[in-house]
Amino acid sequence: MSPIPILRIGTTLLCSVHVELDDALAERLQEDVLGTIERTGATGLVVDISGLETVDSYVARILADTGRMARLMGADTVLAGMRPEVAATLVRMGFPLEGVRAALDLDHGLALLAHGRSGATEGRRPGRTAP
Amino acid sequence: MAGSETRDRLTADVYDIPRRRAFVELGDDDLARLAALRPLAEAHIDRLVDDFYELLLGQPDTRRFFPDAHVIERVKRSQRAYFLGLFDGKVDEAYVDDRLRVGAVHERIGLAPKWYLGAYRRQLRLLLDLLFSGVPDPVEARAAFASLQKLVFFDMTLAIDAYIVARDDALERHQTALRELSTPVIRVHHGVLLLPLVGTVDSLRAEQVMDTVLVRIVEEQARVLILDIAGVPVVDTRVAEHLLQTTQAVRLLGCEAILTGISAHVARTLVQLGVEIATMPTRARLAEGIELALAIVGKRIAPAGAGAGSAAEHAGPDGAGRA
Repeated sequence: MSPIPILRIGTTLLCSVHVELDDALAERLQEDVLGTIERTGATGLVVDISGLETVDSYVARILADTGRMARLMGADTVLAGMRPEVAATLVRMGFPLEGVRAALDLDHGLALLAHGRSGATEGRRPGRTAP
Repeated sequence: MAGSETRDRLTADVYDIPRRRAFVELGDDDLARLAALRPLAEAHIDRLVDDFYELLLGQPDTRRFFPDAHVIERVKRSQRAYFLGLFDGKVDEAYVDDRLRVGAVHERIGLAPKWYLGAYRRQLRLLLDLLFSGVPDPVEARAAFASLQKLVFFDMTLAIDAYIVARDDALERHQTALRELSTPVIRVHHGVLLLPLVGTVDSLRAEQVMDTVLVRIVEEQARVLILDIAGVPVVDTRVAEHLLQTTQAVRLLGCEAILTGISAHVARTLVQLGVEIATMPTRARLAEGIELALAIVGKRIAPAGAGAGSAAEHAGPDGAGRA
């Protein structure tokens, strides 16, 4: 049994992290998430990290990598509910998680995924520049 | 209220009475020696207090703190209690509290430490006279004065600490007020926040701006933040770096960041400096930024009275406000 349960709702996977992530746990999470995508063919993944009070650079990298890997497997990934202090710390450490889609909360995250499937690219819309 | 704050901040250090006593070499024998002199002090206290205020009232710099007879009567009473406290023979928390109050009250009425210390020299002289006239044996009188001096210096360190903490508290209050004024996060619409930056952006302020803005975004569940820099006089590499960091952090929360108020001068500077801000959407004017922000949350500004039919005139969210 995974320490961080991964729920499946239709074609979307949902995992809510409510324990502090150490290196081993983050690696385990990545493994479980990718395995679940492989098994279920999910097309979306929302990782709720509102319970995380700290994220170090290694864990941040694993989370970002997981998103990229999931996308390679056809699952759009959204990181939801990052706390203000975590965001500030990551950016100050020079680790802005480029390319990761973020959402205010779970609700917003699911909305982003739904929007993504309907063809629009919410993340790009306000940008003036080409991707 | 300020008093309790002062007390909290002082507690750790100030109530470490043994350590403070050790530093001025104030022993139990000193306190016992002073306690033995209490009858002498009581016998002369009225004259002592009168002499002291005669000196204070004779000086323009100190006279202004005692505007009328009523005030003088009151301070004489507390001065009397203070003098007698020196001969109580004990130094406990209540004693420390009482001595801290001296500094705090002086700070509040604006009596500077120089006048406090200067006046204390006068008190010492009066006490010296008292001891040498009241204690016949010169060796005993000298010992008594040495003990008194230790206790007086113990008192003065407490009063000065109280002065400093009171001043620090005032400074902190002002800085907090200034900080709040310098980061006015405005809610423009549901899910749209506006931060108009005015004035110089240094590293400290940039950090405060980032922290404030991130917390507000989560509080308001904002989907878009407009950062308007029209009021920032100089935008150099460092300022641009701060802005970039803030927008990166904002994005990590799932909120879009739009930079507006970019003048021709600033645009020229940024390009010449080679600052990479192409990743954030930018607009020259705030109005255009607001239109873009509304488009992101699925709203748009329409002419008054315009019905559903006029929607076709608008290019839709992607083209809002752009030629």
